[in-house]
Amino acid sequence: MGYAIGVDVGGTFTDVVLRGPLGEVTVAKCLSTPYDPIAGIANGVTRVLTGVDPALVTRVVHATTLATNAVLERKGVRVAYVTTQGFRSVIPLGRYARVEEDRYDLRFTPPPPPVAAGDCFEVVERVSARGVVLTPLDLDSVRRAAAEIARRGITSAAVCLLHSYANPDHERQVAAILRESVENVVTSSEVWPEIREYERATTTIMSAYIGPLMASYLSRLGERLASLGVHAPVHVMESSGGVISAELAARRAVAMIESGPAAGVLAAAGSGFANVISFDMGGTTAKTCVVRDGRPEITHEFHVGGKGSFGGRRAGTGVPIKTPAIDLAEVGAGGGSVAWLDAAGALRVGPHSAGSDPGPACYGLGGSEPTVTDANLVLGYLSSASIPLSAPLADKALDRLAGPLGVSRAAAAHAVHEIVSASMASAVHVVTVQRGIDPRGYALVAFGGAGPMHAARVAERFGIGTVVVPAHCGVASAAGLLVADLSTDRVLSRLDAADPSEVFGALAASAAEDLGVSPSDPGVRVSRSVDVRFKGQSHDLTVAWSSARAELEARFFERYEQVYGISQRGEVEIVSYRVRVTLPATDGPAVTHVPVASSGPVGARLAYFAELGGYSEVPVHTRDTLAVLSGPGIIEDAESTIVVPPGWTAALGPARAVHLTEEPHEQ
Amino acid sequence: MSSDVLTAEVLRNALVVAAEEASIVVVRSAYSTFIVEGSDASAAVLDARGRLIAHSMATTLMNSMALKVALPELIRDVPLETMRPGDVYVLNDAYRGGVHTNDLLVYRPVFVGDRPAYFAATMIHVSDLGGLSAGGMAPLATDIFLEGLQLPPVRLATSGGLEPAVEAILRANSRTPDKVMGDVRALVAGTAVAAARVGALVAEYGAEGLAAGIDDYLDYTEARTRTALADLPEGRFEASYPIDDDGIDHERSHDIRVAITLERHLSDGAGQRSSEDIEPQSPEVIAEGPETRVPGRPETGGPETGRPWSPEMRVPGVPEMRVVVDFAGTGPQVPAAINASASQSLAAAVFAVRCFLDPTIPMNDGCLRAIEVRLPEGSLLNARSPYPCGGRYVPIYAAMEAIFQALSDAVPERAIAPSGILQPFSIAAVGAPYWIHLSYDFGGVGARQGLDGPDATGVHFGIGRNSVPQAEPVESRCPLVVESIETIPDSGGPGRHRGGLGSRTVYRFLADCHVTTRGDRLRLAPPGRDGGLPGRLGGFFKRHLDGTVERLASKMNNVRFAAGEAFVVETTGGGGMGSPHERDREAVLADLAAGHITERGAQEDYGLTRRPDPVS
Repeated sequence: MGYAIGVDVGGTFTDVVLRGPLGEVTVAKCLSTPYDPIAGIANGVTRVLTGVDPALVTRVVHATTLATNAVLERKGVRVAYVTTQGFRSVIPLGRYARVEEDRYDLRFTPPPPPVAAGDCFEVVERVSARGVVLTPLDLDSVRRAAAEIARRGITSAAVCLLHSYANPDHERQVAAILRESVENVVTSSEVWPEIREYERATTTIMSAYIGPLMASYLSRLGERLASLGVHAPVHVMESSGGVISAELAARRAVAMIESGPAAGVLAAAGSGFANVISFDMGGTTAKTCVVRDGRPEITHEFHVGGKGSFGGRRAGTGVPIKTPAIDLAEVGAGGGSVAWLDAAGALRVGPHSAGSDPGPACYGLGGSEPTVTDANLVLGYLSSASIPLSAPLADKALDRLAGPLGVSRAAAAHAVHEIVSASMASAVHVVTVQRGIDPRGYALVAFGGAGPMHAARVAERFGIGTVVVPAHCGVASAAGLLVADLSTDRVLSRLDAADPSEVFGALAASAAEDLGVSPSDPGVRVSRSVDVRFKGQSHDLTVAWSSARAELEARFFERYEQVYGISQRGEVEIVSYRVRVTLPATDGPAVTHVPVASSGPVGARLAYFAELGGYSEVPVHTRDTLAVLSGPGIIEDAESTIVVPPGWTAALGPARAVHLTEEPHEQ
Repeated sequence: MSSDVLTAEVLRNALVVAAEEASIVVVRSAYSTFIVEGSDASAAVLDARGRLIAHSMATTLMNSMALKVALPELIRDVPLETMRPGDVYVLNDAYRGGVHTNDLLVYRPVFVGDRPAYFAATMIHVSDLGGLSAGGMAPLATDIFLEGLQLPPVRLATSGGLEPAVEAILRANSRTPDKVMGDVRALVAGTAVAAARVGALVAEYGAEGLAAGIDDYLDYTEARTRTALADLPEGRFEASYPIDDDGIDHERSHDIRVAITLERHLSDGAGQRSSEDIEPQSPEVIAEGPETRVPGRPETGGPETGRPWSPEMRVPGVPEMRVVVDFAGTGPQVPAAINASASQSLAAAVFAVRCFLDPTIPMNDGCLRAIEVRLPEGSLLNARSPYPCGGRYVPIYAAMEAIFQALSDAVPERAIAPSGILQPFSIAAVGAPYWIHLSYDFGGVGARQGLDGPDATGVHFGIGRNSVPQAEPVESRCPLVVESIETIPDSGGPGRHRGGLGSRTVYRFLADCHVTTRGDRLRLAPPGRDGGLPGRLGGFFKRHLDGTVERLASKMNNVRFAAGEAFVVETTGGGGMGSPHERDREAVLADLAAGHITERGAQEDYGLTRRPDPVS
């Protein structure tokens, strides 16, 4: 067993985690280098490898926000879109959902389409919903499009023809001709052959848009690591939480869009509890996800660049992507979120964030607006442990709220803390209650810079009695990469296929080929599921496959009741078939357990707890001094601060995780 | 000030989330063809005083105003003290708050102690409840009895399940009984979800705490609305907007007139704003003389008007602004489907005014207090039985446009030229077994001051293109081929700022079918503003087997199409703003490159003389 490296590149920090043969962990947190992320990675890798022979590294696993950022910042390559005659306006017209304030905004203009109207091309052909050719493909029309695309110097093309999930033949022919003159050609039947032309097209377009960037980035990353002496294969995390080889990632770039957030969820999944809610709160956003029986929930559609609202990413406001992704809810609030008074004098928090420049007022970098971090400092939750924070500047910032509100500084700070905790709770609500899941009985796993400060308060809102703060909670995503399985997915839409086993077989073989394995290899897991709906309904639910129809229906009815609360029966039909092929990661050794050297608290300070009527002096521990702590109290380490409110007890658990448990209430 | 007030935002979000969850359940488990693709479902939380507290984000004002106006009618027929936990009620009466017969309004009381204190409400256009054509459009109805089954407020379910008698009536009156009952179950389940959330809030905040929090929320919203109104100039602004025809007499147009008065409100203390009465209100109850007044009407608060207005909730110096929207002079109701029920006209007026205010103001009763709407009784905007109300969107879109034009005069920097509107249609089997495709396409939006109008997208009432069905699922469900979905070049009204383009969608049928349409602004084009030109007129067309294309009337019922024939829907472009010759040359060239205009359009409409270089 050699060394494994996990690399997570975030907006502010690049985290690198090295796990040695004995489970020893070395962590490096470096500033990200947005102009060239590889520089930051090389810096971190060099630091963790100090004193280690790079040749002993056997695996590098990488989570990257490159794909997301390219989409959000519109920095992908120019794409030509090729579709069925009569449909070139469909992408420019878009399917924007007008929600919330958009509805009353006469000056609202839909966001620009992912491909320019002038770069949309048509070919003469038509296939029916059953895959029957209604109009044969006119090859001349394809050649005309190809010539024009090449003449414009466009090097990447996305092909999405109507009903190509039912019959991909025309798309294949179009691609073959385009490839003679266009460098990068992606077809919808390869990328994600699922019914609904708009989402299939945007998924294909995004693949063409970011694929070339991803390919060049990953190849440069491989070269840079080699120059450091690391020749181990590079794996990249997919949105769905599996990892695939760098070569495959370059081809399936669209599956990497949620690469970064997925890694954190895997860390939560590895916390030792079967059912957990991961809670990752950083500077500008917070993300939640449910892990059931050790497996993160998966969604089959998400929107990148959409509006967040009430904890969910609002469908219809971003670019829809159909490839599977870990089902995260995200809210635009974090430690840097600014608190403000609106026109009617009400206190609001976010979505504007002070970011890292100028940062919260207490950073002393020129910020003066009150942020969540400033409020937490005023409340005594934070101190200047790792970075120097200015209490007078935080006080001054909070006074900008307290004055107009006519309340004390502490009351204003406490209100900010409460509002943010409720925002966080809304993200938990989306992934649990709204999905028909009762969060009680789940453990909340908190990480990210601000997560452990708010975790117990969020848990209280749902009657969640256990909070876990893992060791290395500040670099949890990078650590999570080291436990990721090799895995990839396939789908095919086909209304009640005559021979499901044939469909599954083909999908599994194709997915396995991507991973370089065979479905029958020992250790390889093939999971099959289907999208089922009541005949006449339009929305479907994904359930585990069973070849016994009665069993399949029973699973669907049960899932239906769980999601909608309706015990409905009726004729059902299968819309799509899904396969996920997984080669489990070889279990690395557990993180070395340092024996608890229990001693007294390292200090004490005044902290604000509403149930105690205000400020009181509470003990401050570090993980090293913690055995058992009855709240109120505070546990600080280099990466984060854990607030233990009254009624909660903190103890050091396995793998140096801190476990918080709430004492049962007397009702 | 209590910490509850400090963190009132928490409660506000929780209330909206309750409605949001209900709408998710309704959308996803409904069968109605109108919403399975388009997500056109609504959910709201109201209180027993009939106040709208919150609605889901996708809820249109048309629907939440219906739910608000109809609730007092329900309570009048079914007194609160007779309601039991688990009871669910339904109605669709257009003259008592409803919309039209296909839209079912469903309510579930939420009990505090032994009395209903709140209502969880849901609403969708169900798949079919009878009437002239399958799916609920009856554009040539001359009275409401031709539009479908009417339901006064009745109990739909108890804790024991659906009322068998009501279920039997609904089934007997539907061409698609199983689907209608699927829709009804979805509506009922949606109310259960929202009611559970409201119940949890009662437990968390306490009955009084929740009530006080809600009062604060409504007061807060009112304060923000009045603050925003204060940014508009004081004065009286008038406009009118025409309706093409009533579908029966194709030559005669009808007018909606509005006068908008923006004025300082005569403040006489807190009682004025806490105006809700404990007695249910309805348009009839508060009708004064020949006209109906809906919210904003000054009243005297009773002793139980909830928490008094708390001054600390407001930024000092918020002016006491209000707006009066008076539709006096609007044409009389007609025996054709171009009338609206009062709730729908109220929604249109509030919506259009809000388009000139801060768009982030929450939508609830607090907002309504600052907006007074006067709807002449027996007019196109406040029809009486048995005048049909199914085509309500025709007069209310004219009402909205009239308000937009009046307020564009008031605030020229936010002016908008008139738009093409949505064009609903249904395609249905000629007999059993019924399949129905009920949909609409959008017209182009009018140019805005400084901005072109968006193409073929709904500017009004908050629906977007996400509600237009996609071709693949429709073709997999119905015997037709969607031949094309295109924007129409040169259809946006030329101007310094161009109107949005209309669209053309072509359906070729594989089986005989009936087509029903309900269009407007297909004869009288949306004009331009300030020298801009009108948008291109759209229309409904039949393409015969020999390829000839015949223009159809804008409002038709069950026109038979044979297999092989095609139905063409062209939507109307938005009006332009400013002279087209003042349009930036780069913008003209970009439009040409993107195919938004043709070379002919570039030359004739914009005076572009030189043939541009090929696009690179």
